[in-house]
Amino acid sequence: MEQTKDAEKIREIQKSAQPCFQCGICAASCPVFRVAPEFNPRIAVDEVIRTGSVEVTGREWSCAYCLMCEERCPMGVALSEILIDIKNLSSQTGKVPPSVIELMDVIRYTGKVSQASSRTEKKRKELGLPVLPKPDVDEIQKIFELTGAADRLTRYREAEVEPE
Amino acid sequence: MTAGNPVPETDAAAEPEVGSVEDALRIGVFPCKCGKNIGAVVDIDALAEYAKTLEGVVHVQVNTYSCASVGQAEIQEAIKEHSLNRVIVASCSPTMHEPTFRKATKAAGLNPYLCIMTNIREHVSWVHRDDPEAATDKAKELVAMSVAKARTLEAQPEHDVTVTPSAMIVGAGVAGMQAALDLGDMGYKVYLIEKEPTIGGNMALLDKVFPQNDCSICILGPKMVDVIQHPMIKVISMAEIEEVSGYVGNFNVKVKQKARFVDPDTCTACGECVEVCPVDVPSRVDQNLTWRKAIYIPFPQAVPSSYVIDIENCLGMDLLRCGKCYEKCEQHAVIPEDREKIIEFDVGVIILATGFKPANPEKIPRLGWGKYPNVITSLEFERLINASGPTEGKLICPSSLDKPKSVAIVQCVGSRDMTTRSACSNFCCAESVKCALLIKEHYPDTEVVIYYQDLRMHGKYFEDQYLKAREEGVKFIRGRVGEIQEYPHTKHLRLSVEDTTHNKLLMTDFEMVILSMGAEGTAGDLPIPVSTTQDSFYIESHPKLRPVDTSAAGIFICGGAESPKDIRDSVIQASAAAGRASIILQRGRFPIEALSAKIEQDKCSRCGTCVERCPYGAISVDANGKYTVMGALCQACGTCAGDCPKDAIYMPNFTTEQITAQIESALKENPEEKIIAFACNFCSYRGSDLAGVSRMQYPTNARVIRAICSGRYSTKFAQTAFDLGAGAVLYSGCHLPADCHFMTGNHWMAKREPRIRSWMKRKGISEDRFRVEWVSASEGKKWQSIMTEMSDVANTHAEGVRSTPKKKTALKSKAKAKPSQKKKVKAEPKKTTKKSPTKKKTTIKKGKKKE
Repeated sequence: MEQTKDAEKIREIQKSAQPCFQCGICAASCPVFRVAPEFNPRIAVDEVIRTGSVEVTGREWSCAYCLMCEERCPMGVALSEILIDIKNLSSQTGKVPPSVIELMDVIRYTGKVSQASSRTEKKRKELGLPVLPKPDVDEIQKIFELTGAADRLTRYREAEVEPE
Repeated sequence: MTAGNPVPETDAAAEPEVGSVEDALRIGVFPCKCGKNIGAVVDIDALAEYAKTLEGVVHVQVNTYSCASVGQAEIQEAIKEHSLNRVIVASCSPTMHEPTFRKATKAAGLNPYLCIMTNIREHVSWVHRDDPEAATDKAKELVAMSVAKARTLEAQPEHDVTVTPSAMIVGAGVAGMQAALDLGDMGYKVYLIEKEPTIGGNMALLDKVFPQNDCSICILGPKMVDVIQHPMIKVISMAEIEEVSGYVGNFNVKVKQKARFVDPDTCTACGECVEVCPVDVPSRVDQNLTWRKAIYIPFPQAVPSSYVIDIENCLGMDLLRCGKCYEKCEQHAVIPEDREKIIEFDVGVIILATGFKPANPEKIPRLGWGKYPNVITSLEFERLINASGPTEGKLICPSSLDKPKSVAIVQCVGSRDMTTRSACSNFCCAESVKCALLIKEHYPDTEVVIYYQDLRMHGKYFEDQYLKAREEGVKFIRGRVGEIQEYPHTKHLRLSVEDTTHNKLLMTDFEMVILSMGAEGTAGDLPIPVSTTQDSFYIESHPKLRPVDTSAAGIFICGGAESPKDIRDSVIQASAAAGRASIILQRGRFPIEALSAKIEQDKCSRCGTCVERCPYGAISVDANGKYTVMGALCQACGTCAGDCPKDAIYMPNFTTEQITAQIESALKENPEEKIIAFACNFCSYRGSDLAGVSRMQYPTNARVIRAICSGRYSTKFAQTAFDLGAGAVLYSGCHLPADCHFMTGNHWMAKREPRIRSWMKRKGISEDRFRVEWVSASEGKKWQSIMTEMSDVANTHAEGVRSTPKKKTALKSKAKAKPSQKKKVKAEPKKTTKKSPTKKKTTIKKGKKKE
């Protein structure tokens, strides 16, 4: 079941990647590629087109989802979406960097990606904005358990990889 | 474009033919054996016997080969002997021999449009070889359908119009000039319209031209002089088309010519006026890299060789405000009282050579043009390197006025990008290699790098130039430039690009960057109904076989207006367009489509739907809201009729009445087993023919009804067929999006599908009984499988009908008998009334009365 689902997903990725003519503007515009030459968005897409499979290296997690590649792609290829899909496939094999696991934990136990500082709250008050609602942590816990995210987190932890 | 109906000029010849309709119906049926092709499967004698029993048929004659001269002669004799007034040849596909038999019919003195064909070869004998009995039954029914159609056939007059032996060419770039010279040399009067003060177009701005890198103005200049001195060519510069009315052979054109304020005949281009003019204006010809005066000549070789006053920037030609040029000119060529004027003339043909303009670099802010002075476009480079340009041929960085030590050339700016223009601009690769070579030629020490995605050096001699550039040390790096940034102090530029062959990010510094600009279309801003592509280039009539014709008869396209192209291709295409146009001019007469649509004014509710449907702009509306079809523009696709809510459009030989009669006839017996298959003339009908030619066998229950275009199939036809109990209905057309031979017919047909489906849902008709399919002329196999699949659907449906009580079908057959009787009654008085027999004529009279 999972296997066929993955195959379908890969086909989907491949289809959306196919218009790419490998001009390299994504790589030229990628802020990550500038500092981490091992992550090249063009090669990631090329891999999918050429081999029809997604090579999970762990490098895909370097993508900062800044959307610059997608903004400039002359063929309208949704690169960042493709990279998100690759990340999803990568996570299934357990290759999730600790930073992402940590973030998932933060959401799970606080219901927030980042804590609002007391300064933010003060500023909101000044501006007459409503007080930020408190997330229902119990509900989020439930969601994590029902969607299987909690189980996955455990799995990720077991197969934790060192960041490259 | 406005209307004006063509005046028939050969009416006299057509008149006696129309008379034949007045007599009582005398149909002749000519079944053909086609040797053994038909004869071996279909029982032709039984078919002939059956045909004799059909109402209105007075003569049946079997031929072995109808299309042979003997066969044709027999048909002609029979027409005369039995005074036949309808002819049905039951033989092969009409796509093959309809013109043959129409010609034969005409020779026998009968209007050719009273002859139709029944396809019993490609649609019967070749595809039902294994079941002769069923094949014969099908052939009988097909003949009966044709007889049903023939009853209401009407003679169609064949008109032609005279052609004014002159041409208008819009745009005097290299393409327009070439077309003008060609037509002028053939001896036709040519009006050459140019928007700018000089002819020459984009080519006049270039320095050298690839692949030989010869001087552009040196080869163009003499041509420009040829044009202006040609006795048959009238150049109208600074002019734009105001209005075009009429039709092929008889266009009336109004052109608005702006005031020049300098008399081109007396101006000697001495240039003394420039010295006194106090106004400085950025020079557009020099890409705003320098200044010109308010009185100026675009460039020294301009034609007409005359100065022009830029009235928007001129202080005033009277002595109170300025008047310096007026005072200075010894020739008295400055004429302050000059005003814009309308020039009107008639032409037979029009050639559009409006060219393209360079893409706008402002649309791509990441490359920094306009923000960083040292980022220039390829056209700006042309002016800088041009000896008559602002720097007299010295290449300099605009920021420092120093020679650049390193130059990058960035490819595909404004092309091959979905956000600007997705297509390739064709000439820019060769242009860039030329630029690189020019730099190397002038300054060998300069480093030149070309950043490309795919280097498309596809033309004759282009590869030599590429080799030369490599030899000269020009570097080629494959990768699209991400962005250009500027060092604020030095004004040098940094390019970020991925070298895709080495998977490496490059951050390279250059002193100058040239953006290789693609082309942007300019088509579509003229009052002429020729459709354009999304990126504003004119659409040709057929991309391969009619590349310079347009959908509008008598209007041709060439050069950059059709697609971005280089000089050589523009010249080739211009001569092609001139050649095509001269066919019309040389013949002197142009035949009008005999089967063009006519609007029945008494039925028309004046909703205007037809105007929207017509891809040729052939339907126009007058001040009273009355719609008329211009015969000379109509191509008889019938898309207007397909969507006319009042059924007020008469499509000769494919009238609603005739198609309905065919449906009724086909569904007379066992309708639940039948497939009513509509096929368009140029794709799907030919696809069905190919199935026949390839002997692809399929079940016998299909009854094909041909129309010229799928746009003709109204929703009503499917509804009628289902009301009469048809097992299945097929609407087939040319493939979407672009295969339709009438441009948009298939799109409009596709839009009717949901309407038919929702109607079917209301009526409880199962979905699978109706299909819309796109079948090309090469898809015989597809036709076979559609027929086989639909036959199953029809058979399943038929079983269902048989298992339900029979009363229902009995009711249905009664219901269907009524309308056909009514029709006959209706048709009767029409035939007996003298001298106003045709429907068309009566409507014209009514229309006139209303006025």
